[in-house]
Amino acid sequence: MKNLLNKEIKLAASPLSWLFLVFGLMALIPGYPILVCAFFICFGVFQSFQSGRENNDILYTVLLPVRKTDTVKAKYAFTSLIQMLGLVVAAAATLLRMLLLPDAAPYAANPMMNANQAFLAYMLLIFAAFNVIFLGGFFKTAYKFGKPFVLFIIVSFVMAGVAEVLHHIPGLTFLNATAPLTDPVMWGILGAAAVIYLIATLLSCKVAMKRFERVDM
Amino acid sequence: MSTVLSVKHLKKEYPKFTLEDISFSIEEGSIMGLIGRNGAGKTTTIKSILNLIHTTSGEITYFGMDLAAQEEAIKQQIGYAGGAVDYYKKKKIRQIVQVTKTFYSQWDDAAYRKYMELFELDEDKTPSELSEGMKVKLNLVMSLSHGAKLLILDEPTSGLDPVSRDELLDVFKALAERGVAILFSTHITSDLDKCADSITYIRKGKLQFSGSMHDYIEQNRAQGVGENLEEIMLHYEKENFHEKLAQ
Repeated sequence: MKNLLNKEIKLAASPLSWLFLVFGLMALIPGYPILVCAFFICFGVFQSFQSGRENNDILYTVLLPVRKTDTVKAKYAFTSLIQMLGLVVAAAATLLRMLLLPDAAPYAANPMMNANQAFLAYMLLIFAAFNVIFLGGFFKTAYKFGKPFVLFIIVSFVMAGVAEVLHHIPGLTFLNATAPLTDPVMWGILGAAAVIYLIATLLSCKVAMKRFERVDM
Repeated sequence: MSTVLSVKHLKKEYPKFTLEDISFSIEEGSIMGLIGRNGAGKTTTIKSILNLIHTTSGEITYFGMDLAAQEEAIKQQIGYAGGAVDYYKKKKIRQIVQVTKTFYSQWDDAAYRKYMELFELDEDKTPSELSEGMKVKLNLVMSLSHGAKLLILDEPTSGLDPVSRDELLDVFKALAERGVAILFSTHITSDLDKCADSITYIRKGKLQFSGSMHDYIEQNRAQGVGENLEEIMLHYEKENFHEKLAQ
Protein backbone atom coordinates (compact mmCIF):
# COMPACT_ATOMS: atom_id res chain seq x y z
CA MET A 1 0.00 0.00 0.00
CA LYS A 2 2.91 2.32 0.82
CA ASN A 3 4.29 1.69 -2.68
CA LEU A 4 0.94 2.44 -4.28
CA LEU A 5 0.52 5.69 -2.38
CA ASN A 6 4.04 6.61 -3.46
CA LYS A 7 3.02 5.85 -7.06
CA GLU A 8 -0.05 8.09 -6.68
CA ILE A 9 2.10 10.95 -5.44
CA LYS A 10 5.05 10.60 -7.83
CA LEU A 11 3.34 9.48 -11.04
CA ALA A 12 -0.42 9.96 -11.03
CA ALA A 13 -0.88 13.21 -9.09
CA SER A 14 -1.38 16.49 -10.89
CA PRO A 15 0.63 19.41 -9.45
CA LEU A 16 -2.72 21.20 -9.16
CA SER A 17 -3.76 18.81 -6.37
CA TRP A 18 -0.96 20.31 -4.27
CA LEU A 19 -1.32 23.85 -5.53
CA PHE A 20 -5.04 23.99 -4.74
CA LEU A 21 -4.29 23.34 -1.06
CA VAL A 22 -3.62 27.07 -0.92
CA PHE A 23 -7.39 27.55 -1.21
CA GLY A 24 -7.52 26.53 2.46
CA LEU A 25 -6.36 30.09 3.15
CA MET A 26 -9.70 31.37 1.85
CA ALA A 27 -10.77 30.91 5.47
CA LEU A 28 -9.22 34.35 6.05
CA ILE A 29 -11.47 36.18 3.57
CA PRO A 30 -14.28 38.16 5.21
CA GLY A 31 -17.63 38.64 3.44
CA TYR A 32 -17.03 35.65 1.20
CA PRO A 33 -18.57 32.14 1.09
CA ILE A 34 -15.36 30.62 2.39
CA LEU A 35 -16.73 27.07 2.30
CA VAL A 36 -16.07 26.95 -1.45
CA CYS A 37 -12.44 26.31 -0.47
CA ALA A 38 -13.47 22.69 0.23
CA PHE A 39 -14.81 22.48 -3.31
CA PHE A 40 -11.57 23.85 -4.76
CA ILE A 41 -9.47 21.36 -2.77
CA CYS A 42 -11.61 18.54 -4.20
CA PHE A 43 -11.29 20.12 -7.64
CA GLY A 44 -7.52 19.77 -7.20
CA VAL A 45 -7.97 16.04 -6.52
CA PHE A 46 -10.18 15.81 -9.60
CA GLN A 47 -7.26 17.15 -11.67
CA SER A 48 -5.22 14.12 -10.60
CA PHE A 49 -7.96 11.78 -11.80
CA GLN A 50 -8.01 13.61 -15.10
CA SER A 51 -4.24 13.40 -15.43
CA GLY A 52 -4.39 9.73 -14.39
CA ARG A 53 -6.85 8.94 -17.15
CA GLU A 54 -4.72 10.72 -19.76
CA ASN A 55 -1.75 8.65 -18.66
CA ASN A 56 -3.42 5.22 -18.43
CA ASP A 57 -2.73 5.20 -14.70
CA ILE A 58 -5.42 2.66 -13.81
CA LEU A 59 -4.24 0.18 -16.45
CA TYR A 60 -0.63 0.64 -15.34
CA THR A 61 -1.65 -0.03 -11.75
CA VAL A 62 -3.72 -3.15 -12.31
CA LEU A 63 -0.88 -4.66 -14.33
CA LEU A 64 1.43 -4.33 -11.33
CA PRO A 65 1.68 -7.25 -8.93
CA VAL A 66 -0.96 -5.83 -6.60
CA ARG A 67 -4.53 -6.77 -5.76
CA LYS A 68 -7.04 -5.03 -8.03
CA THR A 69 -8.82 -3.59 -5.01
CA ASP A 70 -5.57 -2.01 -3.77
CA THR A 71 -5.81 0.35 -6.75
CA VAL A 72 -9.02 1.70 -5.22
CA LYS A 73 -7.57 1.93 -1.72
CA ALA A 74 -4.59 3.91 -3.06
CA LYS A 75 -6.88 6.45 -4.75
CA TYR A 76 -8.85 6.87 -1.52
CA ALA A 77 -5.64 7.19 0.48
CA PHE A 78 -4.30 9.87 -1.87
CA THR A 79 -7.60 11.77 -1.85
CA SER A 80 -7.82 11.64 1.94
CA LEU A 81 -4.21 12.81 2.21
CA ILE A 82 -4.93 15.89 0.09
CA GLN A 83 -8.17 16.55 1.97
CA MET A 84 -6.46 16.32 5.35
CA LEU A 85 -3.67 18.64 4.23
CA GLY A 86 -6.31 21.07 2.93
CA LEU A 87 -8.07 20.84 6.28
CA VAL A 88 -4.80 21.56 8.09
CA VAL A 89 -4.23 24.69 5.96
CA ALA A 90 -7.80 25.86 6.58
CA ALA A 91 -7.55 24.99 10.29
CA ALA A 92 -4.34 27.02 10.60
CA ALA A 93 -6.07 30.04 9.01
CA THR A 94 -9.12 29.45 11.23
CA LEU A 95 -6.99 29.34 14.38
CA LEU A 96 -5.25 32.52 13.32
CA ARG A 97 -8.63 34.25 13.08
CA MET A 98 -9.95 32.77 16.30
CA LEU A 99 -6.86 33.46 18.40
CA LEU A 100 -5.52 36.72 17.02
CA LEU A 101 -8.34 38.44 15.16
CA PRO A 102 -11.62 37.60 16.94
CA ASP A 103 -12.68 41.20 17.24
CA ALA A 104 -11.50 42.45 13.86
CA ALA A 105 -14.34 44.48 12.38
CA PRO A 106 -14.63 42.61 9.04
CA TYR A 107 -15.10 39.34 10.95
CA ALA A 108 -17.26 40.63 13.80
CA ALA A 109 -19.77 42.10 11.34
CA ASN A 110 -19.42 39.36 8.75
CA PRO A 111 -22.74 38.56 7.03
CA MET A 112 -21.16 35.44 5.54
CA MET A 113 -19.77 32.43 7.35
CA ASN A 114 -16.97 32.94 9.87
CA ALA A 115 -14.11 30.50 10.13
CA ASN A 116 -14.57 28.38 13.25
CA GLN A 117 -15.10 24.74 14.20
CA ALA A 118 -18.46 24.63 12.36
CA PHE A 119 -16.76 25.82 9.17
CA LEU A 120 -14.15 23.04 9.47
CA ALA A 121 -16.97 20.56 10.12
CA TYR A 122 -18.75 21.67 6.93
CA MET A 123 -15.48 21.22 5.05
CA LEU A 124 -15.29 17.63 6.25
CA LEU A 125 -18.88 17.03 5.14
CA ILE A 126 -18.11 18.35 1.65
CA PHE A 127 -15.02 16.13 1.52
CA ALA A 128 -17.19 13.18 2.53
CA ALA A 129 -19.64 14.07 -0.26
CA PHE A 130 -16.75 14.11 -2.75
CA ASN A 131 -15.57 10.69 -1.64
CA VAL A 132 -19.04 9.17 -1.83
CA ILE A 133 -20.26 10.87 -5.01
CA PHE A 134 -17.13 11.34 -7.09
CA LEU A 135 -14.82 8.52 -6.03
CA GLY A 136 -17.67 6.04 -5.63
CA GLY A 137 -19.10 7.09 -9.00
CA PHE A 138 -15.74 6.98 -10.79
CA PHE A 139 -15.07 3.37 -9.82
CA LYS A 140 -18.29 2.18 -11.49
CA THR A 141 -16.29 2.36 -14.72
CA ALA A 142 -12.80 3.50 -13.62
CA TYR A 143 -12.98 5.74 -16.69
CA LYS A 144 -16.00 8.03 -16.76
CA PHE A 145 -15.83 10.87 -14.27
CA GLY A 146 -17.92 13.63 -15.85
CA LYS A 147 -21.28 12.72 -14.35
CA PRO A 148 -20.02 12.03 -10.81
CA PHE A 149 -18.08 15.30 -10.80
CA VAL A 150 -21.03 17.37 -12.04
CA LEU A 151 -23.19 15.76 -9.37
CA PHE A 152 -20.57 16.60 -6.75
CA ILE A 153 -20.46 20.25 -7.95
CA ILE A 154 -24.22 20.56 -7.47
CA VAL A 155 -24.24 18.85 -4.08
CA SER A 156 -21.25 20.80 -2.75
CA PHE A 157 -22.73 24.15 -3.73
CA VAL A 158 -26.08 23.24 -2.21
CA MET A 159 -24.23 22.22 0.97
CA ALA A 160 -22.29 25.50 1.01
CA GLY A 161 -25.57 27.41 0.49
CA VAL A 162 -27.32 25.58 3.32
CA ALA A 163 -24.33 26.18 5.61
CA GLU A 164 -24.48 29.91 4.81
CA VAL A 165 -28.20 29.98 5.65
CA LEU A 166 -27.98 28.02 8.90
CA HIS A 167 -26.25 30.69 10.99
CA HIS A 168 -28.96 33.24 10.06
CA ILE A 169 -31.68 31.07 11.59
CA PRO A 170 -32.65 32.27 15.08
CA GLY A 171 -31.17 29.96 17.67
CA LEU A 172 -28.34 28.92 15.38
CA THR A 173 -26.46 32.22 15.28
CA PHE A 174 -23.82 30.70 17.57
CA LEU A 175 -22.63 28.81 14.48
CA ASN A 176 -21.13 32.04 13.23
CA ALA A 177 -19.24 33.01 16.40
CA THR A 178 -15.83 34.47 15.67
CA ALA A 179 -13.94 32.73 18.46
CA PRO A 180 -15.94 29.93 20.13
CA LEU A 181 -12.77 28.34 21.45
CA THR A 182 -14.32 26.99 24.62
CA ASP A 183 -17.77 26.15 23.24
CA PRO A 184 -18.26 22.39 23.68
CA VAL A 185 -21.14 22.37 21.17
CA MET A 186 -18.86 23.70 18.44
CA TRP A 187 -16.21 21.09 19.22
CA GLY A 188 -18.98 18.48 19.25
CA ILE A 189 -20.08 19.56 15.77
CA LEU A 190 -16.52 19.23 14.50
CA GLY A 191 -16.15 15.82 16.16
CA ALA A 192 -19.43 14.58 14.68
CA ALA A 193 -18.39 15.75 11.21
CA ALA A 194 -15.06 13.94 11.58
CA VAL A 195 -16.89 10.73 12.46
CA ILE A 196 -19.27 11.16 9.49
CA TYR A 197 -16.29 11.81 7.19
CA LEU A 198 -14.51 8.70 8.39
CA ILE A 199 -17.52 6.40 8.14
CA ALA A 200 -18.66 7.80 4.76
CA THR A 201 -15.14 7.48 3.30
CA LEU A 202 -14.61 3.93 4.55
CA LEU A 203 -18.03 2.76 3.37
CA SER A 204 -17.62 4.48 0.02
CA CYS A 205 -14.19 2.83 -0.38
CA LYS A 206 -15.71 -0.58 0.31
CA VAL A 207 -18.46 -0.02 -2.26
CA ALA A 208 -15.93 1.34 -4.80
CA MET A 209 -13.76 -1.77 -4.34
CA LYS A 210 -16.75 -4.00 -5.13
CA ARG A 211 -17.66 -1.87 -8.14
CA PHE A 212 -14.11 -1.84 -9.50
CA GLU A 213 -13.82 -5.61 -9.04
CA ARG A 214 -16.66 -5.95 -11.59
CA VAL A 215 -15.11 -3.57 -14.14
CA ASP A 216 -13.66 -5.03 -17.35
CA MET A 217 -10.62 -3.03 -18.38
CA MET B 1 10.75 -27.81 -21.07
CA SER B 2 8.18 -26.68 -18.57
CA THR B 3 4.86 -25.09 -19.37
CA VAL B 4 4.82 -21.38 -18.61
CA LEU B 5 1.23 -20.59 -19.51
CA SER B 6 -1.70 -22.91 -19.98
CA VAL B 7 -5.13 -21.76 -21.14
CA LYS B 8 -7.99 -24.25 -21.20
CA HIS B 9 -11.46 -23.74 -22.67
CA LEU B 10 -11.41 -20.00 -22.21
CA LYS B 11 -14.75 -18.35 -22.86
CA LYS B 12 -15.75 -14.71 -22.71
CA GLU B 13 -19.24 -13.60 -23.67
CA TYR B 14 -20.05 -10.06 -24.76
CA PRO B 15 -23.48 -8.98 -25.97
CA LYS B 16 -22.36 -9.04 -29.60
CA PHE B 17 -19.24 -11.20 -29.53
CA THR B 18 -18.19 -14.43 -27.90
CA LEU B 19 -14.71 -15.79 -27.51
CA GLU B 20 -15.18 -19.51 -27.24
CA ASP B 21 -13.25 -22.57 -26.18
CA ILE B 22 -9.76 -21.15 -26.56
CA SER B 23 -7.04 -23.52 -25.39
CA PHE B 24 -3.29 -23.29 -25.83
CA SER B 25 -0.07 -23.55 -23.89
CA ILE B 26 3.37 -21.97 -24.09
CA GLU B 27 6.62 -23.64 -23.14
CA GLU B 28 9.66 -22.03 -21.59
CA GLY B 29 11.92 -20.37 -24.20
CA SER B 30 9.39 -20.55 -27.01
CA ILE B 31 7.74 -17.86 -29.11
CA MET B 32 4.06 -18.11 -29.89
CA GLY B 33 2.23 -15.86 -32.31
CA LEU B 34 -1.40 -15.13 -31.57
CA ILE B 35 -2.94 -14.45 -34.94
CA GLY B 36 -6.28 -13.56 -36.40
CA ARG B 37 -7.78 -10.68 -38.32
CA ASN B 38 -8.93 -7.47 -36.60
CA GLY B 39 -11.81 -8.21 -34.22
CA ALA B 40 -11.12 -11.96 -34.13
CA GLY B 41 -10.55 -11.98 -30.36
CA LYS B 42 -6.78 -11.62 -29.92
CA THR B 43 -6.95 -8.68 -27.54
CA THR B 44 -9.85 -10.26 -25.63
CA THR B 45 -7.67 -13.35 -25.20
CA ILE B 46 -4.74 -11.28 -23.94
CA LYS B 47 -6.94 -9.28 -21.59
CA SER B 48 -8.40 -12.51 -20.24
CA ILE B 49 -5.03 -14.05 -19.49
CA LEU B 50 -3.94 -10.84 -17.77
CA ASN B 51 -7.11 -10.87 -15.67
CA LEU B 52 -8.07 -7.44 -17.01
CA ILE B 53 -11.51 -8.73 -17.92
CA HIS B 54 -13.77 -11.30 -16.30
CA THR B 55 -13.93 -14.51 -18.24
CA THR B 56 -17.19 -16.45 -18.51
CA SER B 57 -15.41 -19.76 -17.99
CA GLY B 58 -12.09 -21.50 -18.49
CA GLU B 59 -8.87 -22.22 -16.67
CA ILE B 60 -5.73 -20.08 -16.83
CA THR B 61 -2.55 -21.19 -15.09
CA TYR B 62 0.97 -19.76 -15.09
CA PHE B 63 3.91 -21.84 -13.89
CA GLY B 64 1.32 -24.27 -12.52
CA MET B 65 -0.36 -21.52 -10.46
CA ASP B 66 -4.00 -20.57 -10.89
CA LEU B 67 -4.36 -16.98 -12.12
CA ALA B 68 -7.37 -16.12 -10.00
CA ALA B 69 -5.81 -17.46 -6.80
CA GLN B 70 -2.21 -16.28 -7.21
CA GLU B 71 -2.39 -13.21 -9.40
CA GLU B 72 0.19 -11.19 -7.46
CA ALA B 73 2.83 -13.95 -7.48
CA ILE B 74 2.22 -14.56 -11.19
CA LYS B 75 2.52 -10.88 -12.11
CA GLN B 76 5.94 -10.80 -10.44
CA GLN B 77 7.07 -13.21 -13.16
CA ILE B 78 5.41 -11.89 -16.30
CA GLY B 79 5.66 -8.71 -18.34
CA TYR B 80 3.16 -7.03 -20.61
CA ALA B 81 3.49 -4.48 -23.37
CA GLY B 82 0.68 -3.14 -25.48
CA GLY B 83 1.59 -1.60 -28.80
CA ALA B 84 -0.19 1.71 -28.51
CA VAL B 85 -0.44 2.11 -24.73
CA ASP B 86 1.97 4.41 -23.00
CA TYR B 87 2.00 5.44 -19.38
CA TYR B 88 2.82 8.78 -17.77
CA LYS B 89 3.75 10.39 -21.06
CA LYS B 90 5.33 13.49 -19.50
CA LYS B 91 7.26 11.84 -16.67
CA LYS B 92 10.92 10.98 -17.10
CA ILE B 93 11.67 7.30 -17.63
CA ARG B 94 13.97 7.48 -14.60
CA GLN B 95 11.04 8.56 -12.42
CA ILE B 96 8.69 5.89 -13.78
CA VAL B 97 11.32 3.21 -13.21
CA GLN B 98 12.09 4.42 -9.67
CA VAL B 99 8.45 3.87 -8.76
CA THR B 100 7.88 0.69 -10.77
CA LYS B 101 10.87 -1.17 -9.33
CA THR B 102 9.47 -0.92 -5.79
CA PHE B 103 6.71 -3.37 -6.73
CA TYR B 104 9.01 -6.16 -7.87
CA SER B 105 10.93 -8.36 -5.45
CA GLN B 106 13.27 -9.63 -8.20
CA TRP B 107 14.11 -6.23 -9.72
CA ASP B 108 17.68 -6.29 -11.05
CA ASP B 109 19.33 -2.88 -11.50
CA ALA B 110 22.26 -4.34 -13.41
CA ALA B 111 19.91 -6.01 -15.91
CA TYR B 112 17.97 -2.75 -16.18
CA ARG B 113 21.09 -0.77 -17.07
CA LYS B 114 22.22 -3.46 -19.50
CA TYR B 115 18.93 -3.47 -21.45
CA MET B 116 18.64 0.32 -21.40
CA GLU B 117 22.07 0.48 -23.00
CA LEU B 118 21.32 -2.33 -25.44
CA PHE B 119 18.15 -0.61 -26.64
CA GLU B 120 19.80 2.83 -26.56
CA LEU B 121 17.14 4.28 -24.29
CA ASP B 122 17.78 7.51 -22.42
CA GLU B 123 16.47 7.67 -18.83
CA ASP B 124 16.05 11.42 -19.03
CA LYS B 125 13.55 11.19 -21.86
CA THR B 126 9.81 10.98 -21.36
CA PRO B 127 7.61 8.36 -23.08
CA SER B 128 6.12 11.16 -25.21
CA GLU B 129 9.57 11.71 -26.70
CA LEU B 130 9.95 8.07 -27.75
CA SER B 131 9.02 6.54 -31.09
CA GLU B 132 6.52 3.65 -31.11
CA GLY B 133 9.35 1.12 -31.39
CA MET B 134 11.23 2.67 -28.48
CA LYS B 135 8.07 2.55 -26.34
CA VAL B 136 7.78 -1.18 -26.93
CA LYS B 137 11.46 -1.53 -26.07
CA LEU B 138 10.96 0.46 -22.87
CA ASN B 139 8.17 -1.90 -21.82
CA LEU B 140 10.45 -4.81 -22.63
CA VAL B 141 13.23 -3.33 -20.47
CA MET B 142 10.84 -2.94 -17.54
CA SER B 143 9.65 -6.53 -17.92
CA LEU B 144 13.12 -7.99 -18.30
CA SER B 145 14.49 -6.03 -15.35
CA HIS B 146 12.05 -7.70 -12.99
CA GLY B 147 13.02 -11.09 -14.36
CA ALA B 148 9.87 -11.82 -16.36
CA LYS B 149 9.84 -15.40 -17.59
CA LEU B 150 6.96 -14.72 -19.95
CA LEU B 151 6.32 -11.64 -22.07
CA ILE B 152 2.81 -10.99 -23.26
CA LEU B 153 2.79 -8.47 -26.07
CA ASP B 154 -0.28 -7.10 -27.77
CA GLU B 155 0.59 -6.15 -31.34
CA PRO B 156 4.08 -4.94 -30.47
CA THR B 157 5.10 -4.61 -34.10
CA SER B 158 2.16 -2.59 -35.42
CA GLY B 159 3.16 0.91 -36.32
CA LEU B 160 6.85 0.06 -36.55
CA ASP B 161 8.98 0.62 -39.63
CA PRO B 162 10.42 -2.54 -41.28
CA VAL B 163 13.87 -2.05 -39.73
CA SER B 164 12.56 -1.54 -36.18
CA ARG B 165 10.26 -4.52 -36.64
CA ASP B 166 13.12 -6.69 -37.76
CA GLU B 167 15.26 -5.54 -34.83
CA LEU B 168 12.47 -6.29 -32.39
CA LEU B 169 12.04 -9.79 -33.80
CA ASP B 170 15.78 -10.34 -33.35
CA VAL B 171 15.37 -9.26 -29.72
CA PHE B 172 12.56 -11.80 -29.28
CA LYS B 173 14.75 -14.57 -30.64
CA ALA B 174 17.65 -13.64 -28.36
CA LEU B 175 15.35 -13.58 -25.34
CA ALA B 176 13.83 -16.94 -26.22
CA GLU B 177 17.33 -18.41 -26.39
CA ARG B 178 17.77 -17.26 -22.79
CA GLY B 179 14.65 -19.13 -21.75
CA VAL B 180 12.09 -16.31 -21.86
CA ALA B 181 8.75 -17.35 -23.35
CA ILE B 182 6.97 -14.83 -25.57
CA LEU B 183 3.35 -14.63 -26.59
CA PHE B 184 2.67 -11.89 -29.07
CA SER B 185 -0.40 -11.03 -31.03
CA THR B 186 -0.06 -9.73 -34.53
CA HIS B 187 -1.90 -9.52 -37.79
CA ILE B 188 1.36 -9.19 -39.68
CA THR B 189 2.00 -12.84 -40.48
CA SER B 190 5.46 -12.21 -41.93
CA ASP B 191 6.61 -11.37 -38.36
CA LEU B 192 5.95 -14.96 -37.43
CA ASP B 193 7.86 -16.50 -40.32
CA LYS B 194 10.98 -15.01 -38.82
CA CYS B 195 10.71 -16.04 -35.19
CA ALA B 196 7.66 -18.01 -34.05
CA ASP B 197 7.80 -21.63 -32.98
CA SER B 198 4.08 -22.02 -32.62
CA ILE B 199 0.89 -20.18 -33.40
CA THR B 200 -2.57 -19.86 -31.98
CA TYR B 201 -4.96 -18.83 -34.70
CA ILE B 202 -8.30 -17.35 -33.64
CA ARG B 203 -11.05 -16.87 -36.15
CA LYS B 204 -14.35 -15.13 -35.31
CA GLY B 205 -13.84 -15.84 -31.63
CA LYS B 206 -13.11 -19.54 -32.11
CA LEU B 207 -9.87 -21.45 -32.05
CA GLN B 208 -8.86 -22.39 -35.58
CA PHE B 209 -5.53 -23.94 -34.63
CA SER B 210 -2.96 -24.02 -31.86
CA GLY B 211 0.35 -25.80 -32.19
CA SER B 212 3.54 -25.93 -34.22
CA MET B 213 3.63 -23.28 -36.93
CA HIS B 214 5.68 -25.55 -39.18
CA ASP B 215 3.12 -28.38 -38.90
CA TYR B 216 0.24 -26.01 -39.61
CA ILE B 217 1.83 -24.67 -42.77
CA GLU B 218 2.76 -28.17 -43.96
CA GLN B 219 -0.73 -29.46 -43.27
CA ASN B 220 -2.34 -26.64 -45.27
CA ARG B 221 0.24 -26.80 -48.02
CA ALA B 222 -0.59 -30.49 -48.51
CA GLN B 223 -4.26 -29.56 -48.87
CA GLY B 224 -3.43 -26.86 -51.38
CA VAL B 225 -4.73 -24.07 -49.13
CA GLY B 226 -1.60 -21.94 -49.28
CA GLU B 227 2.16 -21.88 -49.21
CA ASN B 228 2.63 -19.63 -46.19
CA LEU B 229 0.70 -18.22 -43.22
CA GLU B 230 -0.50 -15.20 -45.12
CA GLU B 231 -1.98 -17.26 -47.94
CA ILE B 232 -3.56 -19.70 -45.48
CA MET B 233 -5.11 -16.89 -43.43
CA LEU B 234 -6.39 -15.15 -46.54
CA HIS B 235 -7.92 -18.40 -47.75
CA TYR B 236 -9.91 -18.96 -44.55
CA GLU B 237 -10.79 -15.37 -43.84
CA LYS B 238 -12.04 -14.61 -47.34
CA GLU B 239 -14.20 -17.72 -47.79
CA ASN B 240 -17.32 -16.01 -46.49
CA PHE B 241 -16.45 -12.73 -48.07
CA HIS B 242 -16.39 -14.26 -51.55
CA GLU B 243 -19.69 -16.05 -50.93
CA LYS B 244 -21.32 -12.78 -49.82
CA LEU B 245 -19.83 -10.90 -52.75
CA ALA B 246 -21.26 -13.43 -55.19
CA GLN B 247 -24.80 -13.09 -53.80
